[in-house]
Amino acid sequence: MSEEIVSVQGLHHTYLPGTPLATIALCGTDLLVRRGEIAALIGPSGAGKSTLVHFLNGLLRPGARGQVIVFDQDTGAPECDLTALRQRVGLVFQYPHQQLFERYVGDDVAYGPRQLGLAREEVRERVRWAMDVAGLDFESFVDRHTFSLSGGEMRRAALAGVLAMRPELLVLDEATTGLDPRGRSEVHALLHHLREKAGMTILIVSNDMDEVAEQADQVTVLHEGRTVLAGEVHKVFAQRELLHRYGVVCPVAADIIYDLGERGLPVASGAITVAEAGEAIWQAMML
Amino acid sequence: MASYDALRHLTIGQYIPTGSLIHRLDPRAKLVALACLIAASVVASKYSNALLLLLLTIMLVKLSRLSLRSMLASLAPVMPVLLIMASLQLLFYGGVTRSGGPNRLLVDWGPLHISTASVRVIIITWARFATLFLLITLLTSTTTASALTRGLEGVLRPLNIIRVPGHEIAMVGAIALRFLPILGEQLEAILQAQASRGVSETRQSRWRFLANTRRMAQMVVPLFVDAYHRAEELILAMQARCYHGGRGRTYLVVSTPHVSDYLTVLVGVSLVALAGVLQYSILP
Repeated sequence: MSEEIVSVQGLHHTYLPGTPLATIALCGTDLLVRRGEIAALIGPSGAGKSTLVHFLNGLLRPGARGQVIVFDQDTGAPECDLTALRQRVGLVFQYPHQQLFERYVGDDVAYGPRQLGLAREEVRERVRWAMDVAGLDFESFVDRHTFSLSGGEMRRAALAGVLAMRPELLVLDEATTGLDPRGRSEVHALLHHLREKAGMTILIVSNDMDEVAEQADQVTVLHEGRTVLAGEVHKVFAQRELLHRYGVVCPVAADIIYDLGERGLPVASGAITVAEAGEAIWQAMML
Repeated sequence: MASYDALRHLTIGQYIPTGSLIHRLDPRAKLVALACLIAASVVASKYSNALLLLLLTIMLVKLSRLSLRSMLASLAPVMPVLLIMASLQLLFYGGVTRSGGPNRLLVDWGPLHISTASVRVIIITWARFATLFLLITLLTSTTTASALTRGLEGVLRPLNIIRVPGHEIAMVGAIALRFLPILGEQLEAILQAQASRGVSETRQSRWRFLANTRRMAQMVVPLFVDAYHRAEELILAMQARCYHGGRGRTYLVVSTPHVSDYLTVLVGVSLVALAGVLQYSILP
């Protein structure tokens, strides 16, 4: 088993404790992410996914109940160096326009590297790399006004801004929601590129089960602030009934295979992606 | 700022249901009484009436079963400004007269004069500020946005005769209030995103005015962009639902005032009178 870089255990969190507006967001959450994998965090709205993500780079810190260890640092400990942690954990949020704040795209992407105190040339190099990887042409976008970008371009700019920090763990909080299919598949290709070429570990938060089935190796299911299922993506999606009870639907491909099986076609179960389902149906037809 | 849910403590503009007597009052009565109390507080410039009003306001907060502590906690960000203002007043307000009487000079040191009048100005300013802040917070946390709109509209109705668009004014006010907590949450999201990109938080302090002002631009620009987006979406949503202002509009809730509502207004009016009387009384 490879190295665990995120280990969350028994985490509890309440927003606005001690007021009439107190809401329990997390109550007994566990999460494990190992180096080099693409992990996914799923669960219905209000399950606490975003709250959990905020713990990973110390935006929120654990109180009395629960432990969060990221890169061997206990974020609950007062001596934990959050600035250093945030360089290693890159968080991309759902709404790109909340993450951009400089006037020009180039400056915005350069913001993180400049905070690191890097030399001019190094900053420029990183900005060029990050924008290229995120799919924004450096020459034509570097001097554009940030808020004149389209929605999809803003999303890429926000991603580039985080990538320019060269994080070891990249966390995408519903970062493909609202993208068109092509933009989405570009982001997916990008994830694999970052894992293979830059050695990043990736955690995606998603409501799109097809995306999770296609991209992720490991998946963690949250329900009402608790971790209810976790493990290899095929094993988790095999538990149809349980997932259904927790308000999670299966990938479309898995549904089709299940339906065909119910109708008596002798398909092998366990397919969750389109390619796997196609193969299973082909095998069944050939019999 | 160790963790980023601090901004949610911004209680102003947030409705908090506790089901108290104040929550159940007619919004029109609340608005009229509030206007009276504010008028009284502005009139009051003596220890007796200013502190009396503050005390009454605190009693109202207790009556509403809201937490006085969390209301006051959201005042913390403006403390530096209040303190600086107070120290300037203390050092430079001076006294009009240097003789005895009601205004005694306490310290006379070169250009600086500290007198009983300057001390009084500070205490009254603080009491007035606290009173006004608590009153507004009390109104918004005990009244839903729609009740507030209805109330404001009801209060403005007599002005329809001179063609004052009461409904539209009320709607603008209600939307503005409703946006406050939303903007708070937006700001929080922006701060989180910036912290994630390496804004150092160890060097932040309320007292570093220059650095904070520079940081402000980085927060305000995305906040405004977002607010404009939201405003445009709101306009579309209102048009899609055929919003056309107040003319011919009927209401889901038609409130009829109860005895308690008349009493509230009566208490409000009598408080203005009391503050006025105290102002000219022999009390300090």
